[in-house]
This record gives sequence, C-alpha cells and structure tokens, in this order.
Amino acid sequence: MSTASVHGWRRHLPLINAFIRYGLLIGIGFLMLYPLFWMIGGAFKNNHEIFASPGFIPAHPTTDGFTKGWKTSTEYTFATYLLNTMKIVIPKVILTVISSVIVAYGFARFAIPGRKLLFALLMATVLLPKSVLLIPQYLMFREFGWLDTYLPLYIPQAFAVEGFFVFLIIQFMRSLPVDMEEAAVMDGCNSFQVLTLIVCPVILPAIISVALFQFMWSMNDFLQPLIYLSSVEKYPVALALKMSIDVTEATSWNEILAMSVIALAPSLILFFVAQKYFVEGVTSGAVKG
Amino acid sequence: MNTPVTRRAAIAGMGALAACSPRTAPGPQRQVTLRMSWWGGASAHKATLEALRLFMQRYPHIEVRGEYTGFAGHLERLTTQIAGHTAPDLMQINWYWQVLFSRDGKGFYDLNALSKEIDFSQYDARTLGMGERNGHRNALSVGNAARLFYFNRTTYDKARLALPDSWESLLAAGPKMRDALGDAYYPIDGTFQDFIALARSRIVQKTGKALVDDINKRLNCTPQDIAEMARLYAGLTRNHSLPAARVRAAFGNVAQQEMRPWINGQFAGCYLWNSSIDKFTDTLRPGEHVELASYPLIPGASDAGLLYRPAMMFAINRQTSHPQETALLLNFLMNDPVGIRAMGLSRGVPSSAIARRTLTEDGMMTGLKLDSEAELAKLPITVLESPWFEHPRVRDGFQDILEMQGYGVIDEQTASQRLYDDINAILARVIR
Repeated sequence: MSTASVHGWRRHLPLINAFIRYGLLIGIGFLMLYPLFWMIGGAFKNNHEIFASPGFIPAHPTTDGFTKGWKTSTEYTFATYLLNTMKIVIPKVILTVISSVIVAYGFARFAIPGRKLLFALLMATVLLPKSVLLIPQYLMFREFGWLDTYLPLYIPQAFAVEGFFVFLIIQFMRSLPVDMEEAAVMDGCNSFQVLTLIVCPVILPAIISVALFQFMWSMNDFLQPLIYLSSVEKYPVALALKMSIDVTEATSWNEILAMSVIALAPSLILFFVAQKYFVEGVTSGAVKG
Repeated sequence: MNTPVTRRAAIAGMGALAACSPRTAPGPQRQVTLRMSWWGGASAHKATLEALRLFMQRYPHIEVRGEYTGFAGHLERLTTQIAGHTAPDLMQINWYWQVLFSRDGKGFYDLNALSKEIDFSQYDARTLGMGERNGHRNALSVGNAARLFYFNRTTYDKARLALPDSWESLLAAGPKMRDALGDAYYPIDGTFQDFIALARSRIVQKTGKALVDDINKRLNCTPQDIAEMARLYAGLTRNHSLPAARVRAAFGNVAQQEMRPWINGQFAGCYLWNSSIDKFTDTLRPGEHVELASYPLIPGASDAGLLYRPAMMFAINRQTSHPQETALLLNFLMNDPVGIRAMGLSRGVPSSAIARRTLTEDGMMTGLKLDSEAELAKLPITVLESPWFEHPRVRDGFQDILEMQGYGVIDEQTASQRLYDDINAILARVIR
C-alpha cells in the first residue's frame, strides 16, 4: 500500500464518517417516524386498504377521508371542534404559565415558613392519580354550576395545580445566580417587578417548555372534557375523533386518520416554531440539579 | 332545513299547526327540555338526530338535546353523571349495566308507571323480563341479539365446500379446506371469548339447562359436560378448523375484523352477535361475500344454547323531572312509525313488533339481517342464561384456562379438570 493511497483514503475520512453517522441517524429517525408517515398515508387510503397493507403509500390515493371526516357524523363540522379545542387550550396554557411561574418563584426565592413541607405536598400531588379526584371534583363543579362549560377545564390551572410544571420552573430558577435580582432590588424593584422584568426573560425557555407541554397534553386530554361537557356543540377534537368508534359499526379509520392529521398540525407547527427554546428548557434544569 | 334558524322557524310554524292538531294533548303546555344520551357509530348518530328532529316537530313544546359519544368512555361518563345526579333523562344502556346501576331495581325510573305513554304490548314477555328487576321495569330492549355462525361464502366456494351446518361438518371442514386451499385457510376464526360462547352453546344443547346456576352458585353441569369445552377446543385446533392460539397471536393484538386473514378471506368464518356482523362484513376485501349458516344442533337438542339478550336498552333517569315527556320520546323512537323509520336499523333489528313490521314493509330488512332474524325465529330458545355467565371474572376464568391449553401449558385433561374446579370456585366467590 503506497503512502499516497493511504493519504487519499484518510482524506475522505470525515466524509465517510459523516455518511455513516447521518445514514444511521436518518435510518433510525425514519423508523421512529414510520407510524406518523403511516398515519398520513392512511388518511389517503380507503378503509379496507388500511388493514390490508402495512406500507404507507396508498395504492389508490383518495381524499374521501378528509371530505367526509371534515363533515363528521354530527350536526357540526370538524372546524367547530378545532375551535372548541382552542377555546379550552389557550386559556389553559396562559393560566398555567402565569400561576406556575408565580408559585415556582415563591418556592425558589423566598424563605416561607414550612416551605419544605409545602413543597413535599406539591410533589405528592404529582404522584396522585387523576382518576381519584374525578368524582369529588365533578361534585364540586356541579355545585358551582359549571357543568357543561369550559370553566372546570381551565379555571383550576389558575392555581398552579400541575406540580410538575412548578417543579420544572423551580429547577430552572435554581440554576440561575441571584445577583441580578439583588441588583434589581437595589435599584428599587419590588419582588413582583423582579419576577416580571428580570426573572421571566431569563427563564423564557422553561416557560416555553411548560406552555408546549400543557398545549400538547390539553389537546390530547380525553377524560376531562368527556366528563364535564355534555353538549356535542362544545366537544373538543379529542372527543370528536372518537365519536364514531363504536362496537357495532365498522369504523371509518381513514376519516379518523385524516382528521388526526389535521388535529396534529397545530401541535407540530408550534413545536417546530418553539423547538429551540423547548429543548433548552427541558435539559438546562437537569445540568445543575 | 338543518340550520338552527330555519329549524327554529320550522318548529315555531309547527307549533302553530300543532295547536289545532288532534294528536297533541289539549290544555296548556309548558316548554320542556329533555336530555338524551347514547353511544354509537356514525350512522347511529345521524339516524338518532333525525329521529329527534322529527320528534320535536311532532311535539313542539318538547326540546330534546342529544348528548352522544363513541363507545370509549361512555360508561365512565354515565357513571359520573349518575353519581353526581346529573344523568340525562333518557339514556342508552347495556343489558348488564342494570346490575351496576340498579341492583335492587330502583336505580332507574320504573317504566310500569308510564304504561300510558309507552306501548308495552309490542314486546314479548321474555324481552320485557330482561329489563325487569324486583318487579321494577328498569329498561326497554332496543334490539335483541344472539351469536350465530357466519361464513365467507367466497372461500368455501373456492374450496368446493358446503357451509357447515352441524358440529361434525365444522370439524370435518378443517382438513378439507387445508387440502384444497393451503395451510393459511381456516373454516372459522374466533377469540377465546367467541370460542367460550360457542362451546357453551354446545354444552347447553346437551344438558338443556343454563350453564350457570346462580342459586347454588356453581356450574349447572357435570365434570364430563364441561370437559366438552376443552375437548372441542383441542378437536377444532387439531383439525385445522380453528386457528390455534399461536397462529392467531402471529397477527398481533388487532380487532378480529381488522385482521388481515379475515379481510382477505383466509379465516373464513366467525361466531358472532348478529347485531355486530355489519362491522365484520364492512372490512372485507371487495368481492368477499359472507353468508349465514344454519345453526348446528345436536340431534334431539331441546334448546340451541343461544345467549339471546338485549344488545342495548333505553332507561329513564330515576330523578327526571319530566317522566311523561321522556316516555313520549322513548315510545316515539321505538313504537311510532315515524320514529321507527328514522331510526331504521342503526341499532340493529328492533325488538318492537311494530318496528319490525314497519321496517319489513319498507323493505329495509334484507340480507344478513333478514336471514339472521329468520334463523333466530326458527331455533328453539327457551333456556335463560344467568347474567353471571357474562361477569368479567367468570369470563376471565374460562379464558385463562383455555389460553393455557391453547399455548400448550396444560393438557386437555388438566384443562377439563380445572374448568370444573376453578370456575365453580370463581362462581362461589362472585355471585352475591
């Protein structure tokens, strides 16, 4: 073997390296995303082809699923349900962010008597299964006269009920030096101004993570709207998608897949827009611990 | 005609008409709003909404609001509503939900008090009895259902076989079909649950008694009788008549009608509720054709061993403030020609006599639905099975033992013994 050829081979090493790495990443990425591709492909198939072939490219593409699915089997079109979902999700996300940030700030920066106990209690609620609270909460909201309204779905979020989000923000705040806040106090800020003017811009990645998580979870939430909403005109997407899955009738999976694709779009778009902050927000709390 | 504004206008117009119509009761009528809940698929939703629209046209002083969902979560939602005293006035329930919500018979409105509004003469005594507890009439059957044998005619024709009409021919079809078409083809397919029902039918044909004796809290048969279940399973799978557990498992945990071999006709039969056969025929590959077979009977059997029971029922909320109006709605949906035509067959073949007559005259009863009804009318059905046979613990007990046999963990002999001992122990524990 001549030195020139070794040299030539070595010269391509970074390229080969990149080729292998990216090949592997693309291959595994494709495997991971296959169900998603299959769903999109399935939306364009007719119903019996969905079960008959595992491939995702439809043999006879049709947009039937979209046109019929959009009309739905109810009195309303799918647009109503998308709009309803937004009516629930947007206030829910806003209230969650505001309340979680305030509570986390309190836990992270103030020496409240019994802070450890309170924090332990907050963490305990994370472990509490949601279904345990279902009937007591239902009775409470019935007394308030809130049944069949969206209020039970988002008003609780104004009280930082999601311990996980509070925890996430606290971890993020702990990794920040307090110097800037102390300087702000010296300059005459009260504690609320410190939070809004100094802390919030710094913890923006964590806030975006919380908002994204809450957005996606609320989009998918099935049980709460199912229990609290009885009028069909108020159903969100999660309920609407399951409206026509029954035990005695064949399900038009292509319509359901088509509507799932549409329902997935807001989450996907939001995720890609906020991706940069999102990844930072989830991981940076973990580094310092 | 469907937009809210024109509907409101239409109702107002109808109200003016109805004021001089002889059908509505005289006297001042206060405006009433009812809530009705149901689960179902797309066609059930459409049909019911149309029926409600027609009902509101007939009775302009009653407004009905439909609260409907798919089947997933419906029981959880209804349970919360009943616990929170916010249940709808009229609700669709499953037959066995009566045990959940009305163990003493007082959980639902006693329909006996509404006999002026509801025409009970359209139902036979057996059907009515299945909605009664402790003398209270809790619920009215919308449609009755039983499991029957359905076979893929296309596949049987390809194998040059007649559809099995006896237990023997079902067993014999296995090897013949395998020889004609190959290893992938089976004369019948079913989950363990389907098989348990199938075996129960054969045992009841032999004994002529219900399988579960809920007074003595045990099986109502000898160890030899119940051993038939393990023997039949071994025989059917050995003969290539029923795909063995391993074979089925290879296709994954998919609903039976969505399994590839069913869709393309390789699993050429099923033992299925006549109310849900449509779901199975709908997923078939175009060109595959399913037919009803005559039910296999042991020579001299006095009963076909069918579990014939309401597929779904309607019940009225015990706390409704408008029982008369709700009863009017119930009667309209089930016994009034206008309501019957609107509801059609979206909830299976109705149990109301007038509904069946109306739909037959309209030519709606065709194909498998008509065949199934004719077959059910022909078969001897006298034995009334205890609802405890369908209790989840009992069902799981059967399934566990058969699964072990199916996967070869225990042999036929042990399975027979355990079917007798274990199921008796479970029955003694669960029946209260």
